[in-house]
Amino acid sequence: MTIATAFPYPTPVAKLRSLLNSLPFFWLLLAIPGALMLAGWLDGAIDTMDMLHPTGETSARLMIAAMLIGPLTGVLGARRWLGWLLRRRRALGVSAFLYALAHLVFYVIDMGNLDDMLAEIGAPGIWTGWVALALMLPLACTSNNAAMRALGAAWKRLQRLAYPAALLTLLHWWWVHNGLAGALAHFAPLALVWLALAARRLQSVDAPPRTPKGIRP
Amino acid sequence: MTKLPLAALALAVAATAGLSAPAHATGAIKCDAGPQSGWKSREALESKLTKDGWQVRKLKVDGGCYEVYGTTPEGDRVEAYFHPVTFEKLYVARRGQVLFRAKGY
Repeated sequence: MTIATAFPYPTPVAKLRSLLNSLPFFWLLLAIPGALMLAGWLDGAIDTMDMLHPTGETSARLMIAAMLIGPLTGVLGARRWLGWLLRRRRALGVSAFLYALAHLVFYVIDMGNLDDMLAEIGAPGIWTGWVALALMLPLACTSNNAAMRALGAAWKRLQRLAYPAALLTLLHWWWVHNGLAGALAHFAPLALVWLALAARRLQSVDAPPRTPKGIRP
Repeated sequence: MTKLPLAALALAVAATAGLSAPAHATGAIKCDAGPQSGWKSREALESKLTKDGWQVRKLKVDGGCYEVYGTTPEGDRVEAYFHPVTFEKLYVARRGQVLFRAKGY
């Protein structure tokens, strides 16, 4: 076979690269922490009670990651790696919801009965979690092209429910855990990127429009 | 001035790295009970609590105290701290909501 005939076909390396770079592979990566947790639980190495923290924390991390991409693009401008992440934002958001759902499932298994769950539903650390998950449900259900088309402009307004959901997730984590450090460490990047974006917007209002390089007014 | 957003980002990364380190010290309560050799055993606490009407799901050491996850005699699912020498009840919380806190703790 000559180079000329071989060239139009992807080389094995190129095939591997495009496989590793594919969306299904990204989904697989996102499922790995969950698979490890589940394996540990089925094995008996992790108590049901101890499944709550890792599932919840993973959910919050994915939610924060998904919510960082938009404002980061606003701060840094369009970048290749941000574009790469933007194409994966839906996967991050939907898996945040799926980990939150797993978090609820293990909570229900751990509690074991409805009475105990209802008895503590008024605790600040608990109702915040319920409401956060309830807010994430419509977000996850509309995270598909058909829903985007059907909802049109309303889709973006609906997706803004992510902000109260994130706030409630922060409160849930803080209050249920008797400590702010862990939750704050995770949410600080989000707060700082929002601040950076606000600072940038403020600057662009103050400063006169920039002239392109090399062109003197 | 465009450095400002970047500086904030760098700070965000640094803050995350710095704060993530001591993530696992919950310790709602601290007990100053001396070395563990002087403590009463977990089993002793569990049998005392069971006799008192508690249902113990999990018992571990946290902040130098015994930390118990379980159900109170009144039927509340809680997290409770006990002094490891005196077995005095120091703190009871339901999902972070404090239901009882002993004087001085």
